[in-house]
Formats: sequence, C-alpha cells, structure tokens
Amino acid sequence: MSNEVFNPKILGFLCNWCCYAAADSAGVSRYQYPPNLRTIRVMCTGRLDPAFVLKGFAEGAAGIFTGG
Amino acid sequence: MGQANDKRLGSVMVVGGGVAGVQAALDLTELGYYVYLVEKSAAIGGAMAQLDKTFPTNDCSL
Amino acid sequence: MEAGRSPNIEILSNADFLGLDGKAGDFTAKVRLRPRYIDADKCTACGLCTTYCPRHLVDEYNEGLAITRPIHIDYPQAVPATYFIDPKACMHLQHGTCKICVPVCRSHAINFDQQPEERELKVGAVIMSPGFGRVPEEALTKYSYGAHPDVVTSLEFERLLNPSGPFKGEVRCLSDKRHPHRIAFIQCVGSRDLGCNNGYCSSVCCMYAIKEAMVAKEHDPECEITIYYMDMRTQGKDFDAAQKRAEEQFGIKFVRAKVADVMPWDKQLKLTYATLDGSHYFEGYDMVVLSVGLDAPADAKNLAKIADFELNRYDFCKTSTFAPLTTSHDGVLVAGAFQGPKDIPESVTQSSAAAGLASALLKAQRGKGVITKSYPAEQEVKADDEVRIGVFVCHCGINIAGVVDVAKVANYAGDMENVTYYAESLYSCSQDAQEVIKQRIKEHKLNRVVVAACSPRTHEPLFQETMKDAGLNRSLFEMVNIRDHCSWVHANEPAAATTKSMDLVRMGVAKARNIRPLPEQNVPCTAKAMVVGGGIAGMNAALNLADQGFQTYLVEKSDKLGGHLLEQHYTLQGDDTPALLKGVIDRVKKNKLIEVFTSAELTAVNGFVGNFTSIITSGSGKSQKEASVDHGVIIIATGGKEHRPETVLGAKLPASKKIVTQQELESQLAGKAKNRAPKSLVMIQCAGSRGDDLAYCSKVCCNNAVKNALKVKEIDPAAQVVVLYREMRTYGYAEDAYREAREKGVIFIPYTMERKPAINAKGAKLEVSFHDPILREEVTIAPDQIALSVGMVPVDTDALSKVLKVPVNENKFYLEAHVKLRPVELPVAGVYVCGLAHSPKPVDEVVVQAQAAAAKAAIPLVKGYVSVEPTVSNVNQDTCIGCGLCESLCPYQAIKIHKVDNKRKAETIVASCKGCGICASHCPTFAISMGGFTDEQISAQIKAFGELQEETV
Repeated sequence: MSNEVFNPKILGFLCNWCCYAAADSAGVSRYQYPPNLRTIRVMCTGRLDPAFVLKGFAEGAAGIFTGG
Repeated sequence: MGQANDKRLGSVMVVGGGVAGVQAALDLTELGYYVYLVEKSAAIGGAMAQLDKTFPTNDCSL
Repeated sequence: MEAGRSPNIEILSNADFLGLDGKAGDFTAKVRLRPRYIDADKCTACGLCTTYCPRHLVDEYNEGLAITRPIHIDYPQAVPATYFIDPKACMHLQHGTCKICVPVCRSHAINFDQQPEERELKVGAVIMSPGFGRVPEEALTKYSYGAHPDVVTSLEFERLLNPSGPFKGEVRCLSDKRHPHRIAFIQCVGSRDLGCNNGYCSSVCCMYAIKEAMVAKEHDPECEITIYYMDMRTQGKDFDAAQKRAEEQFGIKFVRAKVADVMPWDKQLKLTYATLDGSHYFEGYDMVVLSVGLDAPADAKNLAKIADFELNRYDFCKTSTFAPLTTSHDGVLVAGAFQGPKDIPESVTQSSAAAGLASALLKAQRGKGVITKSYPAEQEVKADDEVRIGVFVCHCGINIAGVVDVAKVANYAGDMENVTYYAESLYSCSQDAQEVIKQRIKEHKLNRVVVAACSPRTHEPLFQETMKDAGLNRSLFEMVNIRDHCSWVHANEPAAATTKSMDLVRMGVAKARNIRPLPEQNVPCTAKAMVVGGGIAGMNAALNLADQGFQTYLVEKSDKLGGHLLEQHYTLQGDDTPALLKGVIDRVKKNKLIEVFTSAELTAVNGFVGNFTSIITSGSGKSQKEASVDHGVIIIATGGKEHRPETVLGAKLPASKKIVTQQELESQLAGKAKNRAPKSLVMIQCAGSRGDDLAYCSKVCCNNAVKNALKVKEIDPAAQVVVLYREMRTYGYAEDAYREAREKGVIFIPYTMERKPAINAKGAKLEVSFHDPILREEVTIAPDQIALSVGMVPVDTDALSKVLKVPVNENKFYLEAHVKLRPVELPVAGVYVCGLAHSPKPVDEVVVQAQAAAAKAAIPLVKGYVSVEPTVSNVNQDTCIGCGLCESLCPYQAIKIHKVDNKRKAETIVASCKGCGICASHCPTFAISMGGFTDEQISAQIKAFGELQEETV
C-alpha cells in the first residue's frame, strides 16, 4: 500500500455560468493543475440532488467537488 | 452569405466594433434589422477585449 | 462574442469608413476593406504561420509589452477568428522576399494577391461607436513615462495583471523583472488637465485604478499600493462600497495629493507630492502606474467630416441633455465613449438605446433585409429507436493533439456500446468539418453526436446548428471538453491527459445514450407594453416604444405627467428644463399609440413574459375605476425624489427656515424675488448621504451644487458661496462647470469623516463650523442660508417590487440582471427598469436608460414570440404531489402551482425558466426533469465515472 502513488479520482459538478466558465479560462490561461478531476456540467449547482453526491462516492470517488 | 448584397432595405451601419458597437449590432438584429459592423482593426472587441476583470464586481469581462 | 454567428451581422473588419451620402432612411455609405492577405474561409486559426514567421512585431494588443509576428491574431478568441498579416512589417509585402508562411499553411489560406475592396452600402441609419483615443504623450512624459520602464500606463498594467498578458499574469517590473513591492497609482493623468486641453473628467479611471489595485493585491498580498488622487469619483451604483472594500479589506492606501513629479531614484522611482495644506513629501516606489484618461478617438475629426456631424470642444460627439444620442445629422446616432467618456455598462446602455432609436426611425423597413435561415424537416427519433452514436475527437491543430493521444481516445470511443461511428478531426469547428459531420450522420444513420473538443460554452451552438442542418434535433448533441479542461491544463502529463480524455469521453457517451430530442418552444407575445411611471424616464420609454410601432400603456400615480423633473428649472448645461419637459409631455399626449392613465396605479400583475394581464386602478373613492389590460412586457420607471434627511453629518438636523435643500434653493433662485440669491451661502455635500441616513452616493448632488453656486454668482457676483465637500464628483464635462465655479470665486473646502463640519442653531442665528485644511484651523461662519445636498431615494419600490416579484438592493433600488452586460433587465423575464428607480443619475443618463429599456422591451414585441431554450424544466403531472416546494424555491418565478381536476399540480412557465434545476433537485417525488440534464443522464455520467480506466499507460 505504502508504495502506491496517491492518485485519487475526484468527481466535479460545475455550474455552466461560473465554475465551468472558470475552468475554461484556466485552460485559456494555461494554468496547470493535477489531472485527477472528472467533471459533469450542470446549468446551476442548484441542480445537484444530494443523491448525486452519494452515487459519486458509491462509484468510487475519493472526493466530490461542486463549483457554483 | 458569400455573395454580398449591399442594397438591402432595413439595414443599419455601425461604425466601431468595440463593446458599444457589438451591443448595438446585436440589439439591432433582434429588432429586425440587418447590420454592417465596420471595424478599423482586424478583430472586433475593442478595448474591452484587453480587460480581464471589471469594476466593481471584478467579474471576468468576456 | 455571439456577433460573429448572427447571419444578420456582416462584420467588415480591417475596414475604413470613407463616405456617407443621402438622408436618414436612405443613406449610401462607402467602405474600404483592406486586405488581410489570408482567406478567411480557409484559415483555421491554427497559429502555425505565426510560429514560422521570421520577423518580430510589437504586440499592440499587449500594449507593446510583448512581441508577436507580422502574421498573427490579436488573441485566441478574436472575432473573426482569422489571422491577418500586418503589411507594415511583412517582409514579402515590404521587400518582396520571404513568403515562408505560404507553404507552411496547411489549408492554403495565405493569399498575397488580395486587393483592397470598396463597397457601397445602402443603410437607413448609422450608429457611430468608434470608442475612445489615447491621451497626449506630454501628459505621460511629465511623470517620466518613456524615460523609465517602470512607469507604466494603467492599460499596460491591465495587461501585466492579465493571465494572457506578457508575464502570464505575474506583475513584474519591466526594468529587471523583479516583483514590485511598492506600487503607486497617479490619478487624473490626461484628465482634468488643461495642460493637455483635456478639461473634462474621464469618469472611469478611479474605478479601474481601484480594480487594478485590488487584483494586484490578490496576486501579491505583500505588495503595498498607494493611490494618489484629487477626488475619488466612485459615484456609480455600489461603487463606493467597492472602494471601501479596497481600503478596509485589501489595505490599499488612498492619499489626496497632487503628484509633482516622478524621477528615477537608485533602483526605484521617487514620487514627489503635495498635500492640500501645501506640504511636500516624497516616497520611493518600484512601479508607478499612470491612470490615463479617455481621449476623443484619433480620427474623430475625420469621422465628423465624413458623416457630417458636429463635435464638442474636446472632439467628442456633440449631443444635448434631452437627446443624448442624436448627433447634429439626422439619422446618424452615437453610442459609447465617443459620446463622452464612460464605463462599460453605460456604453452598453447607450448602444441598446441607439439601436432602439434607429429601429424607430426605420420602422417601415423593419424585417425587410433580414436573412432567416431554413432547416430541413426534423427526423423523428423515438425512445425505442436503436441508439447510434457518432463520436468525433478533435485535434484542434496541436492544441489537443500536442498533448493528448487523439487516435487512442477515438479508438477507445469506437469500442463503446452504441458507438456506430468514430473519427478524428483536425479542426472539428471548421466549415469543412461541419460538412463531414453532416455526411456521416446520413451515411451511418447517426442519431446522437458527441464531439470531444473544446468548450460547449463557446462551440455548442455551432455544432447544434450543424445538427439542425442534418435534420436532427439539436438536443441530441453532447460535447466533451478535452482542450480547456484537459490538454491545456495538463500540458506536461500527456499520459494522464489521455486517460482523462478517455474518461471524459466515456462519461459523455454515457450521457449521450440517455439524451432525447427536446421540443423547440416559442411562447406567443402580446405586442403591447406597460410603462409604470410618467416621469422623464417613463415618458421616453413610452415614446420610443410607440415610435417603434407598439401600443403602450403609461401609468402615472400623480395627476399629471412629468415626475420629479417638474421641480427642476435649469440644468448644469444651461437647458430650459420646463420648456423641454413640456415638449416631451406634449409628444406623449399627442401620440396615438400611448394611452396615459394619471392618478393611477398598477395594483396587480399576472402572467409572465409575453402574456401579462394587469389591473390599473385609477381615481379614488366613488370615482375609482379598474381597467384590465394585456401586455407582453413591463418597464419600471417609478422614479425617485430628493431625500429629506433627519441626520446630517452624524448629528440631528436643527429646525431652521434658513436650511434648505438644493432643490428648494433652485426654485428660490429661479423665482422673481429681488433678494433671491443669499448674500452668504454654505452648501454641505453628502448631507444625509454616504454614511448618514443613506449609505450610497447619489451621483447628482455635486453637479446640482455647482449649478446652483454658479446661479447665485450669476445673480450676485459679490455673494459668498462656500461648498463643504468630501469629494467633488463633477465627472465628465461637469468638470468644466466646477472649474468655472472656482474661477468665479466659489470656495470649495473638503472635509473628512474624522473632522466633519457642524451646524449650530443659536436662536435665529445659524453657524457652521468646520476645519479648513489650508489654514489648518477651525473656522466658524454665520451664513444667510445653508443648502444641503441631500441625495436621492427611490419612490414606492417596496409595493411594486412585491407585485412583480423582482428584487431590490439594500438601498431599495431595483437590482438589474447583470451589472455590466444586462443593465436594464431584471431577473424576471419581460421586466425592465430605467431611471431613478434603478439608481440616482442625471437627466441625460435617465433619458438614455429609458430608451435602452424600451429597445430591450421591444425585442419580444418585434418577434411576436419568446423563444425558449430546451433546457427548461418539465413537470410530470402524474407524479407531482403539489407540495409547492418548487414554487417557493424558484428564483425566477418560473414554476407555479395550479389546480388540475381539483388537485394541486406544479407547472413550468417555460418563458421565464432559466434551466437552473433547483426545482428538480428538491422535488421529493422526482417529478421534475431538466431538459438535457435529467436524473438519468447525470446518473449515467456518474456511473461511467466509476468505470475507471485501470490501464494508465
């Protein structure tokens, strides 16, 4: 175990209008960040049913990120 | 498109493609007019395209 | 920038305006298009040419702080997204050599044979919006600009702060690339400066200086920043609050002083400044930022000659208070900074207003020239049809393919269930790639398309358009972002980036399996408007709507039209307000399309955008009447009034007849009495504002004080007028009047919050005591009269905001949908705001805002319908239990409970829904689904996320 590289997979829910847009500008600006995040775009984080978070964990997410 | 029709009825010319000109052009099309947006430089956007954030909320600009 | 996509906007960039003949409604304009030397249809904006071009060129987009090449594009999101060759620097165009770019370009877009092209355009109206120019060099060189690299303009500093700027957003000294620890901003460079013939205030510099200082602090919290200013003119809505934040949270220092000069000083710069009491100081800084003003555009004189209109003394376009966007040439309108220095929201407001005015002028030609695109009939995709997905993975030149193994991602996608076709694409957004997608849809009978490329925020509409062209519902499309969210941000980890791309594509395909066609909905709109408030704002809004051809109901609470302006007698610009106001009232009364209700109120509003039904209650007692009217839009123009403060300067205001407000003083001065001008007068600015009763700045009081001070001096030049102020906010051309008042002997003395003046009433005698910073002592004077600049408050916002369910801010002004880009729209669709109900502002700005609100409100009336995005919510009436949770949570009033067969059921008002999904996530019975973001789709994405890629290559 201790020899394994810590490489968590994180699931992100990004609001189309702010956080998704921010992630786009991070790209345009070529900011580098760790490649552990997998994202799902929503029109608003108000769309997030708590069940989505639980499902994410059940599917093996090490962490859930919501950006709105 | 492609072929230019320069004798269109119900068209407006906007001189200057900064944020003011672009907004005027968009509103004009929504109001039912054809727009010629004349810009001196190679791209529209004007000074606002150079800004990253705007006062007072420091939102991003584009 | 959606302007690039509209079929009804033809962008003529790299073009010069050469001539204008004819008259309003029937102009012929001459335009010359300079060659780009690159074929716009072929250029894919890959950027390969720039990397090969051997010549260097100063990058003007980066304010000369970076280097580009003669063949380039200003910035990646530029519209049109076509590179161009600057002929001044190109080796081939100058010397006939080189031509290295020609073979390099893979799409053969480079064409040195292009010639200038002249076109004659028939246009009904012209809107001049050429923006602003640069202030003269001498305004900069006196602060060692040009002589020392660490003296920069605010525009250069803006680029330094920008992540796409020369140091990728790091602030560094240009001299030796060190991080500056101490930065000074000098305000009013090239503004309020007769030395360079710019007597006006540029109205934007205080705001951008604060913004830049705050952003610089965010980059480097250790950095010390000082702003040297004469007056901080943060008079706009919520601007004072931002300044306070800069001072208190960010620790930015504000020093009221005149900067004498800036000189090199060892590695630093020595800044010498003089404070108000005449003391001189100096301090060392690593970097000095000059807050440069906005000048008239360099070609203003030429434009004025070509289009035949007048300029003012500063070479900006000349207009008048009550018709601020009309030039001296009928049919030629002006908008933006060319009308006078202004910020973005005001420019945007003016543009909408100018569009509305042009629309009224050309009413008879409306719709005659527009291009409406037609699409093939939509192919039916049923729920039980076999899902056939096509996946296109984009190289984006080297933007994606340089990092991500595109072939591997595409092959991986090809193995997925339901994926019937997959391919790589060099530039999936290019015109030929769209054709390929259309062909493949036909050949392989695809009924879902996934494109893995860049951001859906910028490119989804383009691909959805292609779907429609191919006869598929546009909602059957899904986009995966493997550029902005992957290759660009994991540039050094190609293997991990490829794995991430595969994961994202798998999640996208999982969603695509569950997407369904969504109906395109249009809600019809009643082509009539309601305007609430019969002041100058409401009347201008109603007039523009009627001039555009729409019936308008104008509801005024009092028994006559005119509103707050009825109490004004003259303007700072010298207009005869009563006469001009009467002209507007007469035009409203004569207009057959405007139905005026006086002594009336809007008591109930039902419905939604396009379909409102309102009750107008007029009269009172026995003669009370109710009228029910249908309309498609509502403009709120309920106005404001002078505030009557109880607390002034932190103390209770003594009762005295000698204390008046500026408005009362104005009426007195406009009268006929011989002794109407007091022999000695003290004006107190911000009385009851900016910290007393009212928290905010009312924007108009400084102008009114100067206006009345000048009037007193005009009547009696010997009168003594003292103005006690915190900051004189005579922005724009009002600065000229402020200077004139000082020249005529009006005494302006600043006070601070620490040392406020005090009003003492001793019997009939009035005294004002204050600290004079020039004499450095306490002074007490006993004036004949005291005029208080009391600020403005909105009228009746409480009741109407509840009726309309629209938000107000903490100062009871209506809260617009977006401060910068949607300044006259409210969050509830179909409801607009203008005038003092939005925020305090002078008459010319009120007129513009009213015209802008009318232009925006006219859009659904012109169309006759409101189009609905497919992403709206949809309630399953079978499973809805009518609990009403969704109705109470919806921020847009877009879901309502009503009775169906005597049972409570929720229903979406699609015209108002923004698709946020709050209703869906809270529905206890999962009865609400969101178009394009259903529970099934998101769950499928989450499940696909779980099927992790074990192989990490």
